[in-house]
Amino acid sequence: MRSYEYLKPTSLKEALELLGRYGEKAKLVAGGTDLMVQWKKKIISPEYVISLRNVPELSFVTYESDLKIGSATTHRTLELSPIIREHFPILLDAVSNLGSVQVRNSATIGGNICNAAPSADTAPPLLALDAVAHIAGPQGERTMPIAEFFKGPSRTALASGEIVTHFSIPRPSPNTGMAYWKHTRRKAMDLPILGVAVLLSFGQDGKTCAKARISLGVAAPTPMRARKAEAYLEGKEVDRGALDEAGKIAAGEASPRTTIRGSQWYREEMIRVLVRRTGLMCIERAKGAAHG
Amino acid sequence: MEKQFSVVGRRLPMLDAAAKVNGSAQFTDDLMLPGMLHGKILRSRLPHAKILNVDVSKAARLRGVKGVVTGAEIPDRQYGIVPKARDEYALAKGKVRYIGDEIAAVCAIDQEIAEEAVELIEVDYEELPSVFDPLDAIKEGAPIIHEGVANNTSFAIRKEFGDVEGAFAASHLVSEDSFYSQPVNHAPLEPHSAVAQHDPIRGQVVLWSSTQIPFFLRRNLAATLQIPESRVRVIKPKVGGGFGQKIDMFAKDFCAAWFAMKLGKPVKFTYERDEVFIGTRQRHPMYLKVKTGMTKDGKILGQQFLAYADGGAYNSTAPTMMALSCFFLMVPYHVPNLLYEGYHVYTNKPVGGAMRGHGIPQARFAVERQLDMMAERLNLDPAEIRWKNSIKAGEPHPGGFVINTCGFAESVRAAAKAIGWKEKRGKLPFGRGVGLGGASFPSGVTNMSHISSGAVVQVGQDASVNVLTGAADIGQGAETVIAQIVAEVLGVSLDDVRVTAADTGATPLDPGTFGSGVTVRAGNAARIAAESVKKRLFECVADELEANPEDLVAKDGVIFVTGSPEINIPFAKALKAYQYKDLPMPLVGRASWMADTSEPTTLFNQPGNFSPSYSFMTQAAEVEVDTKTGKVKVIKMATAHDCGRPINPMLVEGQLEGSIAGGMGQALYENVITEKGQVMNPSFLDYGFPTTLEVPEMESIDIETDDPVGPFGAKEAGEGTQLSPAPAIVNAIYDAIGVHFNELPVTPERILKALEERK
Repeated sequence: MRSYEYLKPTSLKEALELLGRYGEKAKLVAGGTDLMVQWKKKIISPEYVISLRNVPELSFVTYESDLKIGSATTHRTLELSPIIREHFPILLDAVSNLGSVQVRNSATIGGNICNAAPSADTAPPLLALDAVAHIAGPQGERTMPIAEFFKGPSRTALASGEIVTHFSIPRPSPNTGMAYWKHTRRKAMDLPILGVAVLLSFGQDGKTCAKARISLGVAAPTPMRARKAEAYLEGKEVDRGALDEAGKIAAGEASPRTTIRGSQWYREEMIRVLVRRTGLMCIERAKGAAHG
Repeated sequence: MEKQFSVVGRRLPMLDAAAKVNGSAQFTDDLMLPGMLHGKILRSRLPHAKILNVDVSKAARLRGVKGVVTGAEIPDRQYGIVPKARDEYALAKGKVRYIGDEIAAVCAIDQEIAEEAVELIEVDYEELPSVFDPLDAIKEGAPIIHEGVANNTSFAIRKEFGDVEGAFAASHLVSEDSFYSQPVNHAPLEPHSAVAQHDPIRGQVVLWSSTQIPFFLRRNLAATLQIPESRVRVIKPKVGGGFGQKIDMFAKDFCAAWFAMKLGKPVKFTYERDEVFIGTRQRHPMYLKVKTGMTKDGKILGQQFLAYADGGAYNSTAPTMMALSCFFLMVPYHVPNLLYEGYHVYTNKPVGGAMRGHGIPQARFAVERQLDMMAERLNLDPAEIRWKNSIKAGEPHPGGFVINTCGFAESVRAAAKAIGWKEKRGKLPFGRGVGLGGASFPSGVTNMSHISSGAVVQVGQDASVNVLTGAADIGQGAETVIAQIVAEVLGVSLDDVRVTAADTGATPLDPGTFGSGVTVRAGNAARIAAESVKKRLFECVADELEANPEDLVAKDGVIFVTGSPEINIPFAKALKAYQYKDLPMPLVGRASWMADTSEPTTLFNQPGNFSPSYSFMTQAAEVEVDTKTGKVKVIKMATAHDCGRPINPMLVEGQLEGSIAGGMGQALYENVITEKGQVMNPSFLDYGFPTTLEVPEMESIDIETDDPVGPFGAKEAGEGTQLSPAPAIVNAIYDAIGVHFNELPVTPERILKALEERK
């Protein structure tokens, strides 16, 4: 590790200024759980490290007209947030199964998303929730649906000098069930072999699917939505058979690779199995939400 | 039962438990010495190549670099833990044999500079053809990895006991099956580390090392540095797990000592986690073909084995590993006729070495699997087949072992009962099942005088007890067990005993932690040393108590007359009495102990009684298979275990529980994946061993026997427990889904594929 300068802005404005000043020589760090690994492996060697830990505008959770999560909010904060626990079980599934408590105390949701790993645990839930990324940069602020944010492994739509400030997530309609399933070899300290997020909103009859979201991690070069599978479910009465079919369609849309964690055929098979299982969890949870 | 002992047999926390929990325990990498330099090793990027030239000039010129050394500069003396199998240099000379082989080392004022410097070293290689599978490496025309080693076979063993062909002819059923065990890394939490400092006053180089074998390390270090052993002092700080991976000398030991001597400054080398995976040791992958003949009622008549172990680039413990793999096929089952042919084969891959169980788990996996397969074909109960074939104490053993005590048959019954065998085997719904595996292991080695332990017990004026032992506590609790033994003999409490251990400059000789011999060997030395102190104390106070010294008992801090506890003197007062008689202080007892044997053997050439005693055990597993994802959940494991009389049942339980996690890893999770010699998963994240969250409900059952050799009747409890969890789990998977898996690990993908093929 070469010598570097560690900068600690205390406002977003200051952070943007520093990022503008040092450009490619600088790296933003929030939790550091991805950055430090890349640094140690010499994949990166920044001269300036700009910490977002002391920028209060970036760390918050609010739920009014919509859910807003500051980008530097840690996984552990989200895991313990009554808002998330009560209203967004799909996010709870993701943030409470990442790494370990120690990692979650440090790792942030913005870091998880901006690192843009195909395996990012919070990406499939944010895709399923139609989250919008709010971005501040030298040209001011802009927004972008999360579905457009990922451009490739470790590549995002962020331009030079930009910082993701927060994510906004629309309030789900009543009769909605949502779940994320992280398929791993062990229960903690692992990356997913496959991540599956499903969100199902039902109409007034409680049966017909008004909106379906199916998103996958480690199924393609970026976290992805299985739009054909979603379209297949919308307007249907969703049962085991329909979910089975959706799983097959989703597997056809995905393009997983063979890695040390799992081969292509196994991942495709798991998309079929886990879309169904996660969908069934959504049906259960929607019932619970309606009654609860 | 009457309480026979006060300290032995009690569930006492390890002496260093609190220090480990609160972080104050000092491991090698925690050591900081004034002016200390930091080292880094350059490792080969190629699996097999001649080194044409190593240019260190740029590295040496880097600001902050204090020293550089290459293989060309070090003495031409190979080392290895087994004398007949030495084939390794701390830094490669002329040739590298695997990706990770050490080429050069630097030391610098800080870690970052050292890392930068090794990257400035330029190596000219001439790449040679490589070979990665032992079955290819034995073929004619395969690349030669070590000159002069034909067919890359560095050790071959062929042993025949009885008449195997005759046994097969007399058998009702003969089954021949093939098995494969994968490479597994020990993955100790503490990475390997060494700190060396030159002591000009004593003319010694002092090495603190995360080692299991301080005295063998001293010998290897002295030999390779070509200095007398008296000029090397090895001290073992706390060690964070070894499992066999730390019984070799490594480049970090040699290089730290080399630079400390050359530069007169302390030097530290600590391996990164990927270096632990790539550049230390792993469990040998092994191909095994097993042919077994049985009678109609499941009696084993004969067995034939053909084993190919993938040794990687160097020997390490190769001959011992192969010999153990062979001889321990004749326990825990009575195998009257056996033919074993085994080959240790070099490949251009990471090096195989000792790992908990040492060559036996691979063979045990094959045997325990095949027993279940044959039981099924004979329509017999796999539990019954196991106790029916159990070897018995006192029975003549074809390989010359002397079995004094054996609780194996009882362990099968107890483990089966604990897992609910009768109600569950073959009766659970699809996806759930139970399985068993049996095993036996030596309690150390009888064969050589250099495998002896010394101990000194010294009682001070304040009645405090100090013990000097060479035993290497690597986290298993050796120091605690030795302290318990001494406390029991002297009738004092554990708090009164202080242990100084594993310092070749201060403590008596001990071979170290391997072969599961510490409790029996070092424990006996400590016991005898304490008894000699006690004898003199008894002689001193006998008059006062108006009794013969032989009639005195020391227990719970008091010395009293047998049968008349009211006639007594407290231990501290007895010591005062000793002083008032003007007897010379301190009161010191010394002992040296090695296992007695009429036919010592290394097993390489002749058979014989390899160990003073043998532990026996059965492990039983219940599993649940998710038939849609292939994931296996281990629900419960029960272990019934004969380790003689446990000195500390809690520490035995710790060993059993650790072995379950390790066995689960071997059965289901772990595999050092290589592609063209390159390790693809050298991190805790990618290697993916099970964590505490995967560990199932566990039940430990003591099958107590009273061994005549071990201290207070104890036998080993360290390595043997690692032998049978993996086959028990895989046998349970068969019961759950009806698929025989004869290759490890049984991954979700393999399960799913097998289920689909069966459709």
